[in-house]
Amino acid sequence: MSPWLVMIVKTILIYGGVITLAAGMTLAERKVSAWIQWRIGPNRVGPWGTLQPLADGVKFMFKEELMPAGANPLLFRLAPVMAAAPAMMAIAVIPFAGEITLFGVRTTLSIADIPISALYVVAVGGLGIYGVILGGWSSNSKYSLLGGLRASAQMVSYELALILALLSIVVLTGSLDLRAIVAAQAGGIQEWNVWRQPLAFVLFVIATFAETNRHPFDFAECEPELVGGFHTEYSSMKFALFFLGEYVAMIVMASLTTTLFLGGPEVPFWPGAPWFLQLGAFLAKSCFFLFLFLWVRWTLPRFRFDQLMRLGWKVMLPLALANVFVTGLVVSLG
Amino acid sequence: MVIVKRKELSLAERLYLPEVARALFTTLRAIFSRKVTRQYPEEPLPKTAVMRGQPRLVLLEDNQSLACVSCGLCEAACPAYAITIDGQETDRFIEREPERFEIDMLRCILCGFCEEACPKDAIFMSDELELADFSRAALVYDIEKLKRPREALAKRIDYFYGTSDRWRKRSSTS
Repeated sequence: MSPWLVMIVKTILIYGGVITLAAGMTLAERKVSAWIQWRIGPNRVGPWGTLQPLADGVKFMFKEELMPAGANPLLFRLAPVMAAAPAMMAIAVIPFAGEITLFGVRTTLSIADIPISALYVVAVGGLGIYGVILGGWSSNSKYSLLGGLRASAQMVSYELALILALLSIVVLTGSLDLRAIVAAQAGGIQEWNVWRQPLAFVLFVIATFAETNRHPFDFAECEPELVGGFHTEYSSMKFALFFLGEYVAMIVMASLTTTLFLGGPEVPFWPGAPWFLQLGAFLAKSCFFLFLFLWVRWTLPRFRFDQLMRLGWKVMLPLALANVFVTGLVVSLG
Repeated sequence: MVIVKRKELSLAERLYLPEVARALFTTLRAIFSRKVTRQYPEEPLPKTAVMRGQPRLVLLEDNQSLACVSCGLCEAACPAYAITIDGQETDRFIEREPERFEIDMLRCILCGFCEEACPKDAIFMSDELELADFSRAALVYDIEKLKRPREALAKRIDYFYGTSDRWRKRSSTS
């Protein structure tokens, strides 16, 4: 079979899976929030509310598209795409499982295996901020603008800690290839990076919360003071695209944490497990972090903005820098 | 001036993460705790006599004519101007009855003033609560929609008499 066909099939399957997972996340968000508040959550649409995302999607389709007077038409339309596309692009290099053989085709379960995939994820993920800034700026609304500004300040501050935490893993492994990082963690739970780099793990997880604009760092949205932040003026499918971007970004960050710190698709206590078990292990580990996103959201109150900046620049950045320095020292001294 | 002495935070509290873990544990317990949601249409609220639902007109023992004599006191007492009454004379022992008795349920605030104002104990707050229709006109209830046999309102009527001796001593609807 031609490699192009294989690539197209893989792309469709993986993106289909990721978008389905993102839709499931919208339901999970409402369910988890309900449980934490002693409620039941949506249970009317389909069994156990499983068709709720579909109903939401249909509702979004039928909503009126609004554009505020004085908005920049091009940027206003571009912003939701700019928010959703980078998150989707980052999915491409995540190794969901090792080599698989299906219908006589040997391939790996990731869309692209490139030698600089860790760098690619960070670079593409960093583009996600443009959607938020442009959405806030082009809306011609003070709330949107403030939301966009806050989001940009926050993302720049926390991206540093995120990248430095990732860098210490890269230094440890000696490769920017996510597959190499996974391979370096092979050989049992004790080999996982989470034990070798516990500080980087904690910093990375905290930074992913800020990176995806989730609680307690959701300053871009900030419902009580900024109405809805950068997406105040958006309606219909444009609004839905922002949310799709957010949920896909969460999935990317959860899979990245799994890949970097929890051995990726490695099945604990079973080295050579078949590919579907590897995929299952990967999903299970990622789903824990996805659940953590929701769990933390409904547990912690939002930070104050100065607290956020202080945490980012005075705590996370020095810790991450020191961690990279010590890691580098240990690695170079052998 | 009030000087608020803030609690000194311990190192663990200032590190924040242990406290986050504690908070997460609290919400985790909530996830597995008993849910308090009431699945409303399937599990309706318990109805007690003290609850004021929509006002309804009481029928006499013959289950045909109303106890109402269209005196207009409820109409006057109604703070929401929801009641409209036109009276007429009858050949019955009770000489007057309403020709038209309408309550605009969209205006009614379920305050129960009509019930208290009524000298003939002809109007009571029922336990009926649900109010939904496709037009405003359909929600202006006329006599046909308002009249109820005495048994249907018995719980409220007993409760109402029980709340005050004033009501008990006076002659009832008959």
